[in-house]
Amino acid sequence: MADHTTLPHRFFLSISLLSILAVSQPDLTKELVSLRSSSESGVIRLTDDTVSKFITSVSTPRPYSLIIFFNSIDLNSNPLQEFRREFAFVSASFIANNNNRSDVANKVFFCEIDESSDSEAFGLFGIQFLPQICLVDPLMENLQDKTGRMEEEDVDGTAESVVEFIESRTNLTVGPLHRPPLLSKTQISVIVALIAISTPFLIKKVLKGETVLHNSRVWLFCTVLVYFFSVSGTMHNIIKGMPMFVRDHEDSNKLVFFYKGENFQLGAEGLSVGLLYNVVGLLLAYVTNALVRVRSVSGQRVFMMLAMVVSLLAVKKVVYLNSWKTGYEIQTYWPSSWH
Amino acid sequence: MAAVESLPPGTPSAMRNAFGTVLSALILVLIGVLAFSIRLFSVIKYESVIHEFDPYFNYRVTQFLSKNGIYEFWNWFDDRTWYPLGRVIGGTVYPGLTLTAGTIWWVLNAINIPLSVETVCVFTAPVFSAFASWATYLLTKEVKGSGAGLAAAALLAMVPSYISRSVAGSYDNEAVAIFALIFTFYLYIKTLNTGSLFYATLNAIAYFYMVCSWGGYTFIINLIPMHVLLCIVTGRYSPRLYIAYAPLVVLGTLLAALVPVVGFNAVLTSEHFASFLVFIIIHVVALVYYIKGILTPKMFKVAVTLVVSIGLVVCLIVVAVLVALVASSPTGGWSGRSLSLLDPTYASKYIPIIASVSEHQPPTWPSYFMDINVLAFLVPAGIIACFSPLSDASSFVVLYIVMSVYFSGVMVRLMLVLAPAACIMSGIALSQAFDVFTGSIKYQLSSKSKDDAEDNTSTKNAPKDDASSGKADKGEEVAKERLSKKGKKKEREPAEKPSVKSKIVKKKALVLPLEASIVALLLLIMLGAFYVIHCVWAAAEAYSAPSIVLTSQSHDGLHVFDDFRESYAWLSHNTDVDDKVASWWDYGYQTTAMANRTVIVDNNTWNNTHIATVGTAMSSPEKAAWEIFNSLDVKYVLVVFGGVIGYPSDDINKFLWMVRIGGGEFPHIKEADYLRDGQYRIDSEATPTMLNCLMYKLCYYRFVETDGKGYDRVRRTEIGKKHFKLTHFEEVFTSHHWMVRIYKLKPQKNRIRGRVKKLKQKTTSGVSSKSVKKNPWM
Repeated sequence: MADHTTLPHRFFLSISLLSILAVSQPDLTKELVSLRSSSESGVIRLTDDTVSKFITSVSTPRPYSLIIFFNSIDLNSNPLQEFRREFAFVSASFIANNNNRSDVANKVFFCEIDESSDSEAFGLFGIQFLPQICLVDPLMENLQDKTGRMEEEDVDGTAESVVEFIESRTNLTVGPLHRPPLLSKTQISVIVALIAISTPFLIKKVLKGETVLHNSRVWLFCTVLVYFFSVSGTMHNIIKGMPMFVRDHEDSNKLVFFYKGENFQLGAEGLSVGLLYNVVGLLLAYVTNALVRVRSVSGQRVFMMLAMVVSLLAVKKVVYLNSWKTGYEIQTYWPSSWH
Repeated sequence: MAAVESLPPGTPSAMRNAFGTVLSALILVLIGVLAFSIRLFSVIKYESVIHEFDPYFNYRVTQFLSKNGIYEFWNWFDDRTWYPLGRVIGGTVYPGLTLTAGTIWWVLNAINIPLSVETVCVFTAPVFSAFASWATYLLTKEVKGSGAGLAAAALLAMVPSYISRSVAGSYDNEAVAIFALIFTFYLYIKTLNTGSLFYATLNAIAYFYMVCSWGGYTFIINLIPMHVLLCIVTGRYSPRLYIAYAPLVVLGTLLAALVPVVGFNAVLTSEHFASFLVFIIIHVVALVYYIKGILTPKMFKVAVTLVVSIGLVVCLIVVAVLVALVASSPTGGWSGRSLSLLDPTYASKYIPIIASVSEHQPPTWPSYFMDINVLAFLVPAGIIACFSPLSDASSFVVLYIVMSVYFSGVMVRLMLVLAPAACIMSGIALSQAFDVFTGSIKYQLSSKSKDDAEDNTSTKNAPKDDASSGKADKGEEVAKERLSKKGKKKEREPAEKPSVKSKIVKKKALVLPLEASIVALLLLIMLGAFYVIHCVWAAAEAYSAPSIVLTSQSHDGLHVFDDFRESYAWLSHNTDVDDKVASWWDYGYQTTAMANRTVIVDNNTWNNTHIATVGTAMSSPEKAAWEIFNSLDVKYVLVVFGGVIGYPSDDINKFLWMVRIGGGEFPHIKEADYLRDGQYRIDSEATPTMLNCLMYKLCYYRFVETDGKGYDRVRRTEIGKKHFKLTHFEEVFTSHHWMVRIYKLKPQKNRIRGRVKKLKQKTTSGVSSKSVKKNPWM
């Protein structure tokens, strides 16, 4: 904790020292600026050579700080690349917000080191896990020093966390984040135009009563679907993030589909019981609505028997599973003389 | 009814109808008795006592109302709670329940039936459950006829989900609100079917009663507009729809704004915007239909373009205004509870106080089996029955089930709103199934006897044709009966349609094989019997515990744990009237109602900071906690501890929520400090912060003296720190089974001059500012 509180002080100190030393190493800063302007959203790709050029072989205090994102393309991890994009937003926003203040903009450079192509440079920092962001401040000599790193619990993959990290360590303000809008302006205008053009046709169709919405079978299907997903406890699985199934603690080859205990359920468990809930009602509906219109009596008989057996089994299974899962035994309240 | 009028009196049909009406009335009375009596298990097994937490507050308010009258009640500022802030009761409470019970009490007293307020409060819920089942009958009758109505009413009378909120003694808003909800829906459907302004007005009044009773009225004011919109979109607009909806919005909103707790929210919050938007849309649509009626088709086409474009512009403007209004309010105009319905993950992310309540958790599949039992199997059949044919009324109940089943999936508490819908759907399904099965049995038995009489010697296939013509008699009758109902509801359905249908019916008789029908009937009856058994079991065993008195059955007999009332009585007898008692918010209502002492926080969780302050005190070490409590003028601290008898919902098990809620406002409280490797434990592995916090100390003080080892029966472990002394608190009361422990704050020590001087020299400004930071009230 103590290190963190002193970091901004260190930074201040270094900035004041810089003003003296900056004259001696202006070309390095210039080079970084040109590298930055040539790279996408201002994130400089550091290689083995450039790391030694800009960090290790420059005597402290350096006239700039570097904020390095450690990446690994080979890892092929989606969250990591997502975070990398967020990092790029921060970089782009920082440059845009401090565009006309070169004294600020040229003190911090956003960089990236990729483990897959520049493992040597990567190794210099002794990074154990990804994603990781490190601030190389002007006074930093030992690159393995963990004080410049973002703390593990703060790394949550959002641009805001990066901004917070930078602002807490450097006394600089990044300013508002400029995220690209979800849809570009041309896309929005095209969509608006399409909606505007199709509205009259849609209204005409609605007035005539020819849309999908007028088909009651669609509504019926949707209703039963909503019912199915609700009684399966799908919301529980979404909110609590339950997996479809888990591996057994003792035997890792065995899969566990049913969780014992009333407050949790697994995904597959919910869906299968939801299916049992629904199958009985749907069969009953079929028998009472459609089967009565079937001509063949024997067909009716066979199907009804089948439906009744399936329903009976489904109800029995749910009752069994319920007592197994919750541990409740329903009393039947027979007269006591019957026992 | 129409059928009765059209027939001359004295005909067998008229007799049958009259008999049916009397029988239905009798069945309804029995259903009412059933609904009332199944909820009396709690009184029989325990005693006539108010249950749980919130009912105690309602009881206290009702007492105040019956003692001081309605005007005093309306202006009541309660200084016994949320000390030092107090609470305006008249303006923050849904008055429906209290006014209802107060009125019942007043009427009973006026006719010289001297029941106590408590008795009236205890039995309000069962009485209203009977009303609710009658309302269900009316609603379902409007949708699918009286057979389905009776089945639905019988199912609702004993649906466990509703029983859980309406057993005798559970004196809470939901007790009357479910009746109001169903009755409002009934009146809406009735208006929709009849187009009568009389019912529309009644509907607005019923809605007003619902607004008075429960915050769940937002469900109505969103569901009905959705149904109206659905009708418009699917081309079912009719003047009856307009009459059913427009008066409800105008009158209903005006009336709703009269309820102090709602007030201008009725027009300002997003929960109500849908109704206004649909109100505008229905006017546009009504205008279109009106113009269509007075113009020739060609002129109409021209007019359509005009009206549609104007309507669109108006709608766009309104939408823009709404969006601007919504965007300007911090939560987007939605209350946290409503938001967590729309985005189910909202509460768990942002509002620990909502997420901490167990009834706000999403349910798992056994919850459905527990709460609506076999209805879960029958609902899909009911949905399909509602779709064949789809009428205005049946589309409403379909929408109702879809919405309520989705919401119940997000919050287990809303299972209560699902229950009536599930009962209606299952009632429809059961009634249809019984119709078909008994119809086929009856018809085939009668045709068989006919065959026997005629002694027809032809082959087996021959009587089938005969049968089908004979079948048609009965089948046609059933079909005609149904169609007449349908025709009544769907006025605009052209007349030729029924005849077409009856022709189809004539061709194929609606019958199933005899034996299979009998077996199916038996299975259905078994299913119903299972439902009854389950409901009685749920009412008797699961939902009747008052939670203020606990019992446990062991091999040496029944144990009764009456510790709560024991300790509240102790408080009221042994402390000063104006003493302040601090406890976790769960026990606030009970303390004010039973001990009549001032509390810091209670179950009306309106002030998160205040609750967080108490949470912080409970999570702090003794000295810091003492400072916080002392600054709040607290004299006594009450904790609930279940370690001796194994009562699991005690304060130690709730403690992590205190830490989380406290930490949400005062960041020096960190959840991680109380967990060892992410695990919550109180044994020797527990963190020092945990072992030194006030909650641990107050719960486990002298605990080791009970058995010599300090074995906690809830956590099933020996506690970590067994022998310690309290420095800033002293134990004044521990109940019989150690469930409630009350501590008094020790008075501030006299300061010795020299010591104070020394301290003064030592303390720096930095230290003192730190201590101020920890105590938000200094």
